[in-house]
Amino acid sequence: MAASAIVMPKLGLTMTEGLLASWRVAPGDRVRNGDVLFVVETEKIATEIEAQGDGRIETIEVAAGATVPVGAVVATWSGGGAAAAVPEATPEAAPVASQPRSSGGERIVATPLARRLARDAGVPLATLVGGGPRGRIRARDVEAAIAARAAAPATSDAPAAGDRRAATGMEKTVARRMAQAKQTIPHFYVLAEADVTELLKLRDDLNAMEGLTRISINHLVMAAVGRAIVRMPEINVVWDEDAVVQLAGSDVGMAVDSGRGLFAPVVRDAGGRSLDALARDVDALVARARTGQLSGDDLAGGAIAVSNVGMHGASHLVPIINPGQSAILGVAAIKPVFRPDANAQPTLCREIGLVLACDHRVHNGVAAARFLDCVTGILQHPLSLLRG
Amino acid sequence: MPARGAVMAELRYLRAVNQALDDAMAADPSVVLFGEDVGEAGGSFGVTRGLRDRYGPGRVRDTPISEATIAGAAVGAALSGLKPVIEIMFMDFTTLVMDAMVNQAAKAHFMFGGQGSVPMVLRTPHGGGLGAGPQHSQCLEAWFAHVPGLKVVCPADPVSAYGLLRAAIDDPDPVIVVENKALYAMKVEAPERLEAIPIGKASIVRPGRDVSIVAYGAAVKTARDAAERLASDGVEAEVIDLRSLQPWDEAAVLASLSGTHRLVIVHEAVEAFGVGGEIAARMADIGFDELDGPIVRVGAPFMPVPFSRALESAYQPSVERVVAAVRRTLE
Amino acid sequence: MEGVATVTTRPSGELNVSGAPDAAGLLDLYGQMVLIRRCEERLGALFADGEVPGFIHLSIGQEAVSVGVMSALRRDDTIASTHRGHGHAIAKGLPLEGFFLELLARDEGLCRGRGGSMHVADTSVGMLGANGIVGAGLPIALGSALAHQQLGRDAVAVAFFGDGALAEGVVHECFNLARLWNLPLLFVCENNGWSEFLPSSKQIAFKLGELSAAFGLPHVAVDGNDVAAVAAAAADVVGKVRAGGPAVLECVTARMRGHFEGDAQKYRNPDEIARLAERDPVGIAARQLLKTGIDEAELTEVAETVERRVEAAVAAARGGRDPDFEAAKAGVYARAGGGHG
Ligand SMILES: Cc1ncc(C[n+]2csc(CCOP(=O)(O)OP(=O)(O)O)c2C)c(N)n1
Ligand SMILES: [Mg+2]
Repeated sequence: MAASAIVMPKLGLTMTEGLLASWRVAPGDRVRNGDVLFVVETEKIATEIEAQGDGRIETIEVAAGATVPVGAVVATWSGGGAAAAVPEATPEAAPVASQPRSSGGERIVATPLARRLARDAGVPLATLVGGGPRGRIRARDVEAAIAARAAAPATSDAPAAGDRRAATGMEKTVARRMAQAKQTIPHFYVLAEADVTELLKLRDDLNAMEGLTRISINHLVMAAVGRAIVRMPEINVVWDEDAVVQLAGSDVGMAVDSGRGLFAPVVRDAGGRSLDALARDVDALVARARTGQLSGDDLAGGAIAVSNVGMHGASHLVPIINPGQSAILGVAAIKPVFRPDANAQPTLCREIGLVLACDHRVHNGVAAARFLDCVTGILQHPLSLLRG
Repeated sequence: MPARGAVMAELRYLRAVNQALDDAMAADPSVVLFGEDVGEAGGSFGVTRGLRDRYGPGRVRDTPISEATIAGAAVGAALSGLKPVIEIMFMDFTTLVMDAMVNQAAKAHFMFGGQGSVPMVLRTPHGGGLGAGPQHSQCLEAWFAHVPGLKVVCPADPVSAYGLLRAAIDDPDPVIVVENKALYAMKVEAPERLEAIPIGKASIVRPGRDVSIVAYGAAVKTARDAAERLASDGVEAEVIDLRSLQPWDEAAVLASLSGTHRLVIVHEAVEAFGVGGEIAARMADIGFDELDGPIVRVGAPFMPVPFSRALESAYQPSVERVVAAVRRTLE
Repeated sequence: MEGVATVTTRPSGELNVSGAPDAAGLLDLYGQMVLIRRCEERLGALFADGEVPGFIHLSIGQEAVSVGVMSALRRDDTIASTHRGHGHAIAKGLPLEGFFLELLARDEGLCRGRGGSMHVADTSVGMLGANGIVGAGLPIALGSALAHQQLGRDAVAVAFFGDGALAEGVVHECFNLARLWNLPLLFVCENNGWSEFLPSSKQIAFKLGELSAAFGLPHVAVDGNDVAAVAAAAADVVGKVRAGGPAVLECVTARMRGHFEGDAQKYRNPDEIARLAERDPVGIAARQLLKTGIDEAELTEVAETVERRVEAAVAAARGGRDPDFEAAKAGVYARAGGGHG
């Protein structure tokens, strides 16, 4: 059977190119329908691309680590039908020729000097995060790690003993993106407690109505953040390579632990939609995340996300901003507390701990505090949420 | 600024070449000059002005337009006791001297088993910027640097124009001295003494710690200007004037790279398959563990030298391109 | 050059040819021709046996040109030779052992095993090298003549080249420049009628005499297979060149072997090949000597002496060392140093 092309799929409306993060197959491998062929990273997501039939991989045309345009041939195979998720192949697109061709597979990108420094200092490169292009580890990254180690309390240099297993491509992607975000985004935090007594009541009232979408605290928090954005659009900005980008609308991202890795799908217009519509969207996105069906578009956009660990009892969550966004709200568990009322008498309240992590390149403390106050206010007086 | 109101003598590139020829001819009667219009006219660019009057028509000869024979005769003369210095009016015309240089001059010492040598010098101007067009602007030095047995130097300023030419004339091997038309008018304060500059030695024209910029010929000025621009952003570039292309000062480049860990190579010649490619390849080999970023070249694009000023200025390596290249190494 | 290959008559040049060698002189020239002939034959055999690497162009049939011209030169005169240069080298006085050592690619060879047949040189006897590039010897000889003139030496330079080389541009450049500068330069065209596998009549549209005249160069044509005639013509013309300015000596000769050893000469008329023996310069000289009263025994003795010399040289060459690679690599420049090459 003649070999046919496997191309870089278009994983979302706006996607023009994708980083081929890793290969799961090699030339000669037999694959079955649904087997993961390779992992593509776009701005927001790592997506596993599956075979669309049975066949055999003939050649790998694009090495892991290369960024190629949508429609570029990344491999050839002899097999049934078109390969992978292949909408709109653009035949003229070719792999970016100037990318190095390696045998595929994961490799650590580091400069020769960084490798030498790391070797001399006994720092495993795998424990480092590169700040250079393509996550390249440079001398300064190694030096920073050496300095950090020197500053750290005396513990063994060696990573903890225990069972080791190689990280999956997805895990490595998440690890790299998180480390990069934490290292390159100057985070600052504002904290607040919101009294959610009223909010819980509202939720219970809404859920008492049969046959409608069940509303969760999470839905309500998403809606509150969306509405706060509508009130303070100046908060809906992101930093992009020496530019400040003002986003339109009131999209809100949310952290979802899919069981296959961490994703941050984005709910559209969270500030303008009815609670029911919003809740349905949120639930659909979570379902898609769990089944690995998120598209690039699901992950695009939004300046602010919500990460809710309330169901797990923590009092506060101090989150890391998703790359490409500028803030994230950590939402923790609801706790009963006594607060003084107007007469200084203790009253039982139900409070939720909120931590808003912000990118200091685009936000300052005052704006952040005002925004958090806005969210808190909405949560404490939740009837406004019912206005679409 | 000259001290105490003294008037400092200035030295122009063109004059430095003329002085080197003059001094070499005065020092050694076996030095002869020949080429098209080098005698009565004093050279197409005026480099040999006055020499025919001083040394006579036997030692400074006008030749007909016979480049192959000018170069071939230099080989024979050099094998027979003269030290000929020939001029090829534009480097573009060296296409016509290739047999003499490549098959004869370059090989004689080796293929005759070390009997004798070919102490000749071929002077020729390269470079654009003057609207001279595709056949009067090329930088073809890499061709010669590719041939074992030839030496190639390319002075970037009047002092090295003098020093390298003196060294070339004294050298027992064939040396191509590549001058730059656009530099002929360049002037500097005249040093107290002009002397030969050893072939094969580079010069650090600006020290720096963050990145090494290796250049030669007119690109040295571009590299220096880029270094000034970078300095205002806190990036300290070390600029190395290679001076000699064959042999080139590998040790100096490696030493600099070992200090800065980043390397940019700039030349006016076409980037592809050029001198920069050779330096990059060697440093990627012997300097591998020193590198903390990609080695980046800045040269001419893969196209003939265009005529229009609008095209030619875009064609030649610019300060902006060098700055951008340095930034890439710093990412 | 229509028909030139069949011309056998004595030349009638513009210069006056006089002073043919006497019997003793002719015997000496004969001995040198036999030496070249024997060397070439021996090399042919060694080549066939695989002892000579590369490829070689033998000058068998053209010995009278080398010997005749060189008889008119001094040691300090310089020559630039061609791909078919063994005869020039031997006649100019290269040491025979060094010559064979070089052709057998030995370290003790004249060029330390780096040049071989097409690059044999010995600057100490004014032999500036055979040449692998057709026509390239002319500018080199011209430069050498320039050096003679400029340094006030009364030496001459000789450029040897074949009739095929007449099509190269440098011939025309050099004729012009030699005349212009009045250089002590003799152009010797060995017109053997062939340029590789084509008769030169199919490549050259002009006559060398006419070309020479166009440049104002005296032109002498001589039977290049008659060593006495070549010697006489050369003595005359070299004397004039030494005294004042360039000239062209055209030696009409014959290539008795293939272009290179191993050339089956399918392109050549068998009749032409059969007739070559009549024009053998060694035979012609032998017949002339016998007529002057020299007897066969003397000729046999010459042959035996030559045989001993050649065999000694071959034996020495076979005993030579292979050259050392590092030494060769260090020998690219007269003054090495700096950088990476
Ligand atoms: C520049 C160049 N072109 C072509 C050749 C190949 N070649 C070697 S010998 C020869 C023929 C030369 O004829 P001629 O000059 O008459 O010398 P002959 O072989 O007859 O002695 C040719 C074409 C060469 N060596 N150099
Ligand atoms: Mg011929």
